[in-house]
Amino acid sequence: MALLEAINIGRVYPGGVVANDGVNLAVDKGEVHAVVGENGAGKSTLMKILFGVEHPDAGQLLLDGKPVSFANPREAIDAGIGMVFQHFSLVPSFSVYENVVMGAEPRTGITFDRQKAIADVRALSEKFRLTVDPLPPVGSLPVGQQQRVEILKALYRNARILILDEPTAVLAPQEVQELFVAIRSLVEQGRTVIFIAHKLPEVLEISDTITVMRQGKSVGRVKSRDVTEQELATMMVGREVVLRIDRTQTPAGAVTCEVNGLRLVDVRGNDICSDLNFSVRSGEILGLVGVEGNGQSDVIEAIAGMRPVSQGEIRVKGQDVVPMTVLERRQHGISGIPEDRIAQGLAVGASVAENMVATRLTDTRFVRNGLLDLKAIRAHAQALIERFSVRVAGPNAPVATLSGGNMQKVVVARELAEQPDLLLVAQPTRGVDLGATQFIWKTIASARDAGCAVLLSSADLSELLALSDRLLVFYRGKIVAAFRNTEAVSPETLGTYMLGLSAQTPEQMREALA
Amino acid sequence: MSTEVERIKPVTRWTQFRREAGRALVAVVIAMLVTFVIVFLTSKAPLEALNTLLTAPIAKTRTIGLWIDDAAKLTVTGLAFSLVFQARQFSMGVQGQVYIGGLIATYVIQTPIGQTWLGLPLGILAAMIAGGVYGFIPGIAKARLGANEIVSSLMLNYIAIDVVNYLVRVQLGAPGMLYTDPFPVTSVYPALIPNTRVDLGVIFALVAVVAVWFALYRTNWGLKLRLVGHNARFAAYAGIRSSFIMVSAMTASGALGGLLGSMFVQGQIYGKLNVLFEGGLAFEGILVAIVARSRPLAVPFVALAYGYLRQGAQLMNIRTDVPAEVIGIVTAIIILLVSSTFKFPGKAFFGRLFGIRPGVSVSAPAGSAQP
Repeated sequence: MALLEAINIGRVYPGGVVANDGVNLAVDKGEVHAVVGENGAGKSTLMKILFGVEHPDAGQLLLDGKPVSFANPREAIDAGIGMVFQHFSLVPSFSVYENVVMGAEPRTGITFDRQKAIADVRALSEKFRLTVDPLPPVGSLPVGQQQRVEILKALYRNARILILDEPTAVLAPQEVQELFVAIRSLVEQGRTVIFIAHKLPEVLEISDTITVMRQGKSVGRVKSRDVTEQELATMMVGREVVLRIDRTQTPAGAVTCEVNGLRLVDVRGNDICSDLNFSVRSGEILGLVGVEGNGQSDVIEAIAGMRPVSQGEIRVKGQDVVPMTVLERRQHGISGIPEDRIAQGLAVGASVAENMVATRLTDTRFVRNGLLDLKAIRAHAQALIERFSVRVAGPNAPVATLSGGNMQKVVVARELAEQPDLLLVAQPTRGVDLGATQFIWKTIASARDAGCAVLLSSADLSELLALSDRLLVFYRGKIVAAFRNTEAVSPETLGTYMLGLSAQTPEQMREALA
Repeated sequence: MSTEVERIKPVTRWTQFRREAGRALVAVVIAMLVTFVIVFLTSKAPLEALNTLLTAPIAKTRTIGLWIDDAAKLTVTGLAFSLVFQARQFSMGVQGQVYIGGLIATYVIQTPIGQTWLGLPLGILAAMIAGGVYGFIPGIAKARLGANEIVSSLMLNYIAIDVVNYLVRVQLGAPGMLYTDPFPVTSVYPALIPNTRVDLGVIFALVAVVAVWFALYRTNWGLKLRLVGHNARFAAYAGIRSSFIMVSAMTASGALGGLLGSMFVQGQIYGKLNVLFEGGLAFEGILVAIVARSRPLAVPFVALAYGYLRQGAQLMNIRTDVPAEVIGIVTAIIILLVSSTFKFPGKAFFGRLFGIRPGVSVSAPAGSAQP
């Protein structure tokens, strides 16, 4: 019998994003159980449900074969479940032992028994080979040691099951090995570890059993000794999902957008990216590849006018758009599908019609002498709703009543209502169901076929590979590789450049840069 | 896919209106019940007090006049707050705009113009311009300098109150007096119903309702303003200059505040400039706007209802042993209930009472869902 079991878990976030949809997970006692999947596959949501942070809309949890439900993390901790989040919850100015015992301090009478706390923490760290000095303040420790403090915190509260959410993401390779030593010693002493990751070699090294998640579903449970990295990757990405949009080998059109010597800095003046040079031609999709936070989405924001440019120029149709306002850029033929539709792409409290007309308030079809033509605005929305098959009660319905996929369709409909010259797309299908994903992909591809130049950034490699004609790989704000997208380009090849393990020479890049 | 269509409930304006109106009514009823309890506990003649509270405002033509006049003024301040709230700016400056508007109208009326029929419209116009400028200041300070509009507008209120106070004492009024001489009749709003306070201001309030509604829902500016209020980041992405919208919303709201100032000093209520003439009414606009959900067309109805309670409380204060401050309890409870978007204890509450957590089928029989 499994120690911890999740059956048919479903979780839909407000706003309609389906995070979990029929997820099954069975963790045996004393094993390291890895849960793998791409970004947005629903791993973190599942773990939050196990730890009582989120509550499932459907399905049930069994602990020791008995149904349980956790109203909050406290109840999960009492049941013997501990979790270490990607972002630690430690008090930097408190010492290691204070952080570990906080909330469950050993006492003598009414006073805090510091000596016992220090001794307990020291004993615990020796027992599980989580070497860390109990005395210094947590803020002075490197990230790897802070993570150990988090693990000790869970163990101090007698966690039988320890959930580690992407523990290796923040660690250097050396620290990863030390973490694995600790995990093995935990398992030897009868604890169970649930390990979330997306780096496959590590997963195969440390885990006994692997559950693969994709698009909010669990798609398989395998023993790690029976599976190869390639097989896991196939399960994660799901080949049948990837529809390679047919790329009509249109001759490259004229250059629509040319970025010359672009440099962006953050509020503190540190470089986000520097010395970027590339161009996009009409009728092609240029994919910007990179681990999130390597500058690719910032470049797109800069072209859209949402981020100041520190140096360089962005020529669109021969004209530098850097001095232009957002409105002028839109009138110059730039439109965009932003990364976060709820934060930036929509006013969810306003109606669908108002959202669809928001970028056209200088258009005399809708606004004359400062007055709105409500009839025309409603008709415009109705036409777009039909053309983009948005499932909505009507043009006057608030956007908040739509599902995630349909919200995104409202954004896509607004931005592609008229053919733009340059389309900026970031994460177009994050948290969007499969049907809407295919529709959005086809819409972007047909805009390209009609002569639009498209800049696409996405955390989903299969999306980039399916849509792009050329690919640029970003690492720490620089372009480290450029490819024409052929069958020869695989996620693994891109991966080595994304992680900065290798870089192309300028000569190698030149062919695919223009 | 067809199930997805069915899942979308068409939210019509009517159902939304019913929901909001029902919520406001429940809030008022709860607030009144609490008031009744307090009056019963504290008053020697509770029934008489309650009777005064509930019926006195419509007992005489004169008191009806007081009620209608109060409601008109509450409407204008409610509109001023609704306008900035819809743009999600929390400017609290109506009070200051009222004083500055009243002050500037007084200066205009004290010139020879005040003796002519031009005194009335020019006084109003001057008050609105002055109020607009006074609303513009916290707006531009926020747009250019990042100054928090709540703080700057509140501080400007105190400046306006004390400037008026000073000027009335040393310059505008006779020495030692707390008010000016009465304005010439040509500069005072004519009464619509003789011997009551119901004057031209009521018409202005109604015109203002329509004007604000039209501006918000029928003009380009209003749509931009509401989009900025819904999501300023989105508005920027769509190419809307949110700083311009922000400043202009505060300026327009300031003009309404100035109009209210003119309605006080040029209205039948005073017909002259007093110190502290506004008596705390401007801030009641926050309550009106919150209960009306910043919808201009709902504002006059909320103002009528709340004005009635205010007048009832005033009369109760004069005629019985219950102080007018009791109405503060009503106000507090209404604001608390309406702004917290409370739900009437229903399904969820009773579900929890009997240990059933809605939405989680933990009680599913074991074995039924085994893989």
